[in-house]
Amino acid sequence: MSGHDSKYFSTTKKGEIPELKEELNSQYKDKRKDAVKKVIAAMTVGKDVSSLFTDVVNCMQTENLELKKLVYLYLINYAKSQPDLAILAVNTFVKDSQDPNPLIRALAVRTMGCIRVDKITEYLCDPLQRCLKDDDPYVRKTAAICVAKLYDINAELVEDRGFLEALKDLISDNNPMVVANAVAALAEIQDSSVRPIFEITSHTLSKLLTALNECTEWGQVFILDSLSRYKAADAREAENIVERVTPRLQHANCAVVLSAVKIILLQMELITSTDVVRNLCKKMAPPLVTLLSAEPEIQYVALRNINLIVQKRPTILAHEIKVFFCKYNDPIYVKMEKLEIMIKLASDRNIDQVLLEFKEYATEVDVDFVRKAVRAIGRCAIKLERAAERCISVLLELIKIKVNYVVQEAIIVIKDIFRRYPNTYESIIATLCESLDTLDEPEAKASMIWIIGEYAERIDNADELLESFLETFPEEPALVQLQLLTATVKLFLKKPTEGPQQMIQAVLNNATVETDNPDLRDRAYIYWRLLSTDPEAAKDVVLAEKPVISDDSNQLDSSLLDELLANISTLSSVYHKPPESFVSRVKAAPRADDEEFADTAEGGYSESPSQGVDGASPSSSVGTSSNVPVKQPGAGSPPAPAAMPDLLGDLMGMDNAIVPVDEAAAPSSPPPPVLLPSTTGQGLQISAQLTRRDGQIYYDISFENGTQGVLDGFMIQFNKNTFGLAAGEALKVPPLQPGATTRTLLQMVPFQNIAPGAPNSILQVAVKNNQQPVWYFNDKIPLHVFFGEDGKMERASFLEGWKSLPDDHEFTKEFPGSVISSIDATVERLAAANVFFIAKRKNANMDVLYLSAKMPRGIPFLIEITAAVGVPGVKCAVKTANKEMVPLFFEAMEALTK
Amino acid sequence: MGIVFTRLFSSLFGNREARILVLGLDNAGKTTILYRLQMGEVVSTIPTIGFNVETVQYNNIKFQVWDLGGQTSIRPYWRCYFPNTQAIIYVVDSSDTDRLVTAKEEFHAILEEDELKGAVVLVYANKQDLPGALDDAAITESLELHKIKSRQWAIFKTSAIKGEGLFEGLDWLSNTLKLLLQAQ
Repeated sequence: MSGHDSKYFSTTKKGEIPELKEELNSQYKDKRKDAVKKVIAAMTVGKDVSSLFTDVVNCMQTENLELKKLVYLYLINYAKSQPDLAILAVNTFVKDSQDPNPLIRALAVRTMGCIRVDKITEYLCDPLQRCLKDDDPYVRKTAAICVAKLYDINAELVEDRGFLEALKDLISDNNPMVVANAVAALAEIQDSSVRPIFEITSHTLSKLLTALNECTEWGQVFILDSLSRYKAADAREAENIVERVTPRLQHANCAVVLSAVKIILLQMELITSTDVVRNLCKKMAPPLVTLLSAEPEIQYVALRNINLIVQKRPTILAHEIKVFFCKYNDPIYVKMEKLEIMIKLASDRNIDQVLLEFKEYATEVDVDFVRKAVRAIGRCAIKLERAAERCISVLLELIKIKVNYVVQEAIIVIKDIFRRYPNTYESIIATLCESLDTLDEPEAKASMIWIIGEYAERIDNADELLESFLETFPEEPALVQLQLLTATVKLFLKKPTEGPQQMIQAVLNNATVETDNPDLRDRAYIYWRLLSTDPEAAKDVVLAEKPVISDDSNQLDSSLLDELLANISTLSSVYHKPPESFVSRVKAAPRADDEEFADTAEGGYSESPSQGVDGASPSSSVGTSSNVPVKQPGAGSPPAPAAMPDLLGDLMGMDNAIVPVDEAAAPSSPPPPVLLPSTTGQGLQISAQLTRRDGQIYYDISFENGTQGVLDGFMIQFNKNTFGLAAGEALKVPPLQPGATTRTLLQMVPFQNIAPGAPNSILQVAVKNNQQPVWYFNDKIPLHVFFGEDGKMERASFLEGWKSLPDDHEFTKEFPGSVISSIDATVERLAAANVFFIAKRKNANMDVLYLSAKMPRGIPFLIEITAAVGVPGVKCAVKTANKEMVPLFFEAMEALTK
Repeated sequence: MGIVFTRLFSSLFGNREARILVLGLDNAGKTTILYRLQMGEVVSTIPTIGFNVETVQYNNIKFQVWDLGGQTSIRPYWRCYFPNTQAIIYVVDSSDTDRLVTAKEEFHAILEEDELKGAVVLVYANKQDLPGALDDAAITESLELHKIKSRQWAIFKTSAIKGEGLFEGLDWLSNTLKLLLQAQ
């Protein structure tokens, strides 16, 4: 029996791949075509048919367009997995790019651009060059896009072959579609390049404006977006541009409309005539309103953009508030955005109508929407003084319906209203107190407690009310605990009687001993010391006049707003974040801008739009916390015990518990540059730079906690980089209190995980902590941190080295911004960076210095610096076998001689 | 007799195509020969990175002629085209005496291939129009053609530019293939 079983091992079936292979090599065209179709089908469903590469490529030279397209499709998919064999397709591409049929020429050049294989890109340049100058516009427009693709693969090649110039020539093409694609390609290239490549001049401007009217809708979008980067020379030119762009507002494509709006808004900045501006505002309203009749998703995008537009130019839509009224069947995300815009457009003229709407919304079923509606009423009250009373009466009506979350939300906004209009509406406190026991959310509780503390003198049973909250003090969330602490202190200062006295002892005891929240403990100690040192001073501090708040929540910083407006109809304007914060390929803005940005954001924390939970009232939600700086100078020194009031005497022993929060001694060099501004880091600011000390490389990094909570658990990671720099130890950062700064030196080790490719100075850093998302930022590696202490050369060996290197190893660069004021100082400074002085000579009025430096595992740099003392402009020449590093070397030298 | 022969042939060969590879070092003139055979005119060529394939009808036989790039980087991929090949046309630049040794080595490496065992070999001693070009006897010597024992071969003096010798070679090739088929 077993003798027959061998048949199961021999089969006549060869399997799918060999069968396909046979068919692909068939001499019958039909069979070959069917086989290629089968291969594509297999590829589409995810089977690996890459082993048939040569067989498929052999079917490429065919008269049959359908077959050709299929083979091209296969090539795009598998060229990457068979990079060596891909070369076999080159000749066919070259032939096809000269085919009499323009469709085939374009198809060839398009497919070539999609094949991202280094080995063959070089061969594709000649066909591309021909196609850029093709007689047929369809071929030219396809070739234009191919240049952008090629730039992504090999930027140098594109520049060397002059494709950028060819693209710029295409802007003057007589076919508008070619112009549009050339513009799209140039814009794409500009996005990935540091140098200015695509700059619109007044000449190209008129070409683009002419092409605008004739090309397809997406072509129009490309042209409009590029035009938006153009800075008009004067008001007349701006008016001219706007005039030519305005007809685009009538376009059916939303993207065209938004791009047109973007340009008009930007050019309006330059237009001085108020008549023209008013006219333009009038013209922009209807198209924007029309956007709201599109699908909900488009509505959402439009609303996010309108949100920005309204902040810049409220007049445009001032009369259109009705279109932002929520429909019952709007999706929730549209409703939320509409509410936001309604608040922004609310004015004395339309407030009655708006309030009616809000009141209606507050009785709907969706909890989030209802809450936002209630909050909207409060924000209108804060925004419009004359309407405040009407808003409050609406809020009181809403409280009366006794829906739990409506009441809580109302109390939160009423607290803000109290801060906006002090001593005006306190009569309603009684009504509020009736709903005391329904409060179960921290923010609402905290708000209510703040109200009780603030108006303790007007509430007869304030002590009873507070006491009822105090029973659960240890279990309350931090937010409520902080408010309870402050409110109790206020109560005590206003009514220093037996009851409050006992309460405050209990609270202070609880807040200093029982809690592990440092925030609460610190605040408790400060009150304690204040009360025990000078109760009058305590009164002055705790019961001080509070600044009147304004509704600045959801209001963007003006510089950020301008940046976002320049990015209208992109993802950036939907996120309300600058592009570089979420797209890594776009280069970060110049350093100076970043710093400026960070400064404005730190000015007052109420400006920060990302406050999260208490977003609506950041400046008031914690009441006195902004009046009492948490970290007071000298907090650590024991106070004078003499002046303490008796009733707190038994608590004084605790004072020793106060420990200064001083961090480890900071490194004594100037602070490193800011790399993660606090606006990007949700309050956390990170500054850092690489530095060399005692033969070791360190990352000098500093953290500043601008958030309202403690940040801890800091960790750091470095991405692969040219030098393989990685952390040599764990990051040691203590838990960071709000407002505190810490600086540390992290030892770095080179050659750990080296990134392949041409050397560059980019160091990508990721930092995380337990409270926030992971932050990513880019740093620059200054080459001189690698210069070793052993880099000094003898005169003789320097001369020998200089002579032995061929002349093509010599590179020269001018640093126009550098100036040498004293040879000695420069030499000393360079020596500190391990660039060692060897000799000097005088040449006319110029001083010539010879120096050397050496990298680990590297070949030395032989350096010649020529400059006249006191005259700006330093010429630096270097000879080294280490050619690749030369650009980075010049960067480092420029920094060192500055 | 001729008619009988043609009928016999067409019944044997059907409308099948003979698969022919044109090989040789770079700049030997392979692409020029291919288009001279196909179109009868001289086209300007650039180095072939990859391949060209054309159908040439001659003497009632359809030849599917594959012209493969001759550059060093592409030679390793010649083997992808070896299966089912009936004949090889090996093109030598007769004036490039410096590289005749390389030409010989490549040539004998091809002959060693299992998949090409049954293939007929036609050698074109090309570029006879150039001064200093070696004649067919010299090329035969250089390529050591006499060492070939187990297959049919022939060598022709050609000039692709002038169109000389190409079709004489093709005559030989078509006749040899016909005879081979008859023998089968």
